[in-house]
Amino acid sequence: MSGGIARGRLAEERKAWRKNHPHGFVAKPETLPDGSVNLMVWQCTIPGKAGTDWEGGYYPLALHFSEDYPSKPPKCKFPAGFFHPNVYPSGTVCLSILNEDSGWRPAITVKQILVGIQDLLDQPNPADPAQTEGYHLFIQDSVEYKKRVRQQAKQYPPLV
Amino acid sequence: MEGDGTVPEFIDEPSVIDDPVNEVETEVKHGGVVQILDCDDKEKEEEEEDWLPPPPKITVDPQKHCEDPTIKALRLQKQELMLFAQSAQEVLRTVEESVRRDLEATKQSSSESLPENPSKPASERPKIVISIQDKTGLKQFRVYMDDKFERLFKMYAEKVKLDLQSLAFCFDGDKISPTATPESLGMEDNDIIEVHAKSN
Repeated sequence: MSGGIARGRLAEERKAWRKNHPHGFVAKPETLPDGSVNLMVWQCTIPGKAGTDWEGGYYPLALHFSEDYPSKPPKCKFPAGFFHPNVYPSGTVCLSILNEDSGWRPAITVKQILVGIQDLLDQPNPADPAQTEGYHLFIQDSVEYKKRVRQQAKQYPPLV
Repeated sequence: MEGDGTVPEFIDEPSVIDDPVNEVETEVKHGGVVQILDCDDKEKEEEEEDWLPPPPKITVDPQKHCEDPTIKALRLQKQELMLFAQSAQEVLRTVEESVRRDLEATKQSSSESLPENPSKPASERPKIVISIQDKTGLKQFRVYMDDKFERLFKMYAEKVKLDLQSLAFCFDGDKISPTATPESLGMEDNDIIEVHAKSN
């Protein structure tokens, strides 16, 4: 039953996304090698916000939904080793609205998640570090931090 | 006992009816002379009673207690029947309406499915609305499902007065080939295509 609820909600989310989503963002359920669609894992793209050091980068993000969604939030993962103070070495994003025990609400949409993570890119939360390198540079060496961010943006150029 | 019982019954009920009957008989028997006398003496009574067998009973209703209840009963029954008929008619109407609706619905659905086939030759190619989104907003276009995107892209480039070569069109993050069609990409009504200025 819960799986049915999760899939039903995800189908709705996808439907809504197709009709309306912010420019530059991508969010689609993954297609398996046999051509079938897996609603439980979404492959997304978050564009770096214009006017920030993140601009020009199109960052891939995977959303892993559980059968308990939307009671529980999806796990949101950048590629492993992604440079950001609030991203674990595994790539998992640490953000209050994605925390079941903190800011998550079942009404939060995929769009809100992705826009929330876009905001987080340029506005790290130093109170909640998830990796040492990104955190230390952000706290101690803003010049080097900015340089690393711009480098990373170039690693994720637009697909077109 | 039996004879006693039958006599009073006649007296009680038909007493009113008996008189007119007798008088009518006398009229017929006596002929014209009697009629004149009758007219003088019993003008009112006879005329009334002659004409009245049906009408008098109604006009004289208040005086005659025997008829009142029966007529009242009849009226009530009539009213009841009228109400019955009305409610029955209403039921019939609602049934008819619902049946008509059903018929119309089936007709529509059948007419929807039917005309599609015959009309397909004329406007057979299905169309969808596609939104092209740039950084400033959406523009909607109605295109054929089986029309190559190059036509839409040219229309868009002309509309926004930009060089088609500087634009890249994406659906779900994938670049759209000019030779693809909405159908080949599995697009639906109101799907969004994004325009990006080429980075090079």
